[in-house]
Amino acid sequence: MLDYFQVDPLFDNEAQQTRAAARKFLDGEVMPHIRDWFEEAYLPTGLAKSFGDMGFFGANLPVEYGCAGLNNIAYGLLMYELERIDSGIRSFASVQGALVMYPIYAYGSEEQKNHYLPKLASGEMIGCFGLTEADGGSDPGAMKTRARKEGSHYVLNGSKMWITNGNIADIALVWAKCEDEVIRGFIVPTNAAGFSANKIKHKMSLRASVTSELVLEDVRVDQNQLLPQVEGLKGPLGCLTQARYGIAWGALGALEAVYYEALEFAQSRITFGKPIASRQLVQHKLVEMVSEHSKGLLLAHRLGMLKDSGQMHYAQVSLAKRNNVRVALEAARSAREILGGSGITVEYSAIRHMLNLETVDTYEGTFDIHTLIVGRDLTGLGALD
Amino acid sequence: MKIICIIKQVPDAEARIRSTAAGIDLEGVTFVIDGMDEYGVEQALRIRESGVEAEIIAVALGPKRYEEAIRTALAMGADRAIHLETEEAFDPITQAKLLAKVVGEEAADLLLVGGKEADWDSAALGAATAEALGWPHSDWTTELELTANSAKVTHDADEGSEVLTLPLPAVITTQQGLNEPRYPTLPNIMKAKRKELKKLSLDDVGGAVSKIVILKQEIQTRERLNKIIEGDPMEAAQQLVKLLQQDKVI
Repeated sequence: MLDYFQVDPLFDNEAQQTRAAARKFLDGEVMPHIRDWFEEAYLPTGLAKSFGDMGFFGANLPVEYGCAGLNNIAYGLLMYELERIDSGIRSFASVQGALVMYPIYAYGSEEQKNHYLPKLASGEMIGCFGLTEADGGSDPGAMKTRARKEGSHYVLNGSKMWITNGNIADIALVWAKCEDEVIRGFIVPTNAAGFSANKIKHKMSLRASVTSELVLEDVRVDQNQLLPQVEGLKGPLGCLTQARYGIAWGALGALEAVYYEALEFAQSRITFGKPIASRQLVQHKLVEMVSEHSKGLLLAHRLGMLKDSGQMHYAQVSLAKRNNVRVALEAARSAREILGGSGITVEYSAIRHMLNLETVDTYEGTFDIHTLIVGRDLTGLGALD
Repeated sequence: MKIICIIKQVPDAEARIRSTAAGIDLEGVTFVIDGMDEYGVEQALRIRESGVEAEIIAVALGPKRYEEAIRTALAMGADRAIHLETEEAFDPITQAKLLAKVVGEEAADLLLVGGKEADWDSAALGAATAEALGWPHSDWTTELELTANSAKVTHDADEGSEVLTLPLPAVITTQQGLNEPRYPTLPNIMKAKRKELKKLSLDDVGGAVSKIVILKQEIQTRERLNKIIEGDPMEAAQQLVKLLQQDKVI
């Protein structure tokens, strides 16, 4: 692990073992294929079961629901290792864990938890999270998807956009506005009549990940499918805080990957009789990468401590997600530049990570939106109101 | 039956290890369970999964940091562990005598030892432990099958292999090909935290003095000349031949 500031000794044994086990598994089973998967826009169906066997889904949720029960720093390191391979692979796991399992765990009934969580943890069942709509991801409160009560059922209508895992999901966690104008969450089986998912094609980013549009046309779900413990926008936003926490760690994994690739390339690439690593402009780029990785890792570690002690504030998560993804994206662009012509092919990972990180910088709250979340927290004045 | 697996912790194969005047600098190096020992743990787990009632104990002799490798063995599925903790370095014969005491006290039926240590490249520990215990031994084992009181093994020999039977208790040292070790899963890492890890000191096993004293250690390094011969191909070839002759390469 890239660890210029010796942060590793701050991690407990659980976190260190988690990282080592995840890296070993991912280097052995996923890394050798990821370039092809990205190029062919392919996510193998067997990955869900092997991730489930490894305990990668909802790994920070309790053992009693079939999860690993990791502390949040160990969980963060798992996200780091996943994204060191590919942001799409991390998205596959973090959507399942933070955006599907977490809301069922935090807002679901005991019956829902017992029914869904073990199946989601084992990878037997895949989930997706339907919040964003086509007309504006940054303003979820303006959603048009509606839920109408009819006897003991709810009838859902609307569409959701940019939904990770949409076409491979068995259940969709759909957020909809009810007749009282309050947003509520529903666990919708994807085989329900009127539910359809359309795969989004021609993506130049997160290609080893499935992204979809969900369409709900008079989809009837039993009232027991409603998440009973939450009402309003704080429901989906609470999930996003979980996912953003993981992304703050994950992006640093991608940064590590592009840094080592650029370093190795720069040390062996000879121009004008010397390795390009000896040149000031190249050294500056490498130093920036390690400098930002070091700061980001310390930030993520502290954020994990705050989360484990129940003191983490969502604006801190915004700051960490905003910072760590942007520095990873900039590092990937620098790495691609150091690689010169080689950097434009997926033979090397820099351009794959760079393209992926463009999405990561946008989803789960864009860089600008996180600026305004932190800005509002600092000033007490909302720039979006 | 009781199966003991000896565990060593070694620097990760990708670790960058520096050599200094004081010896080998392991600062900042990532350590992992020795891959050859993992074959042993995996084989013990497979014996149990084949229906043999077995308790699997991971035993390690080494410094405090070995705990991580022991935890990996527990996360793979070993039931409990014994750590004979010492910061001192011992030669394989002395290590074998110390480990034999632990193995003897546990009254194990089968001892699995890594065929070769990834760090110092020594293959002595398994054989030396068999000698200390007075047990039969199969080295470089690629197949292992247990019957009621014996082990049937296939092991590598020079330019071939042999099939042997050994009465139990016996020592089996591993070879690549014996199995494909499983990955420790995150739930099992968490379960491993609650498994027994018994600590012993050298005094608990009667103490020891290493027979061999290490005076100096250094890492083999490959220095490159990075010389590029410029100019006309014919002249460059002649110059290359001259240089190779000068350095007695040809």
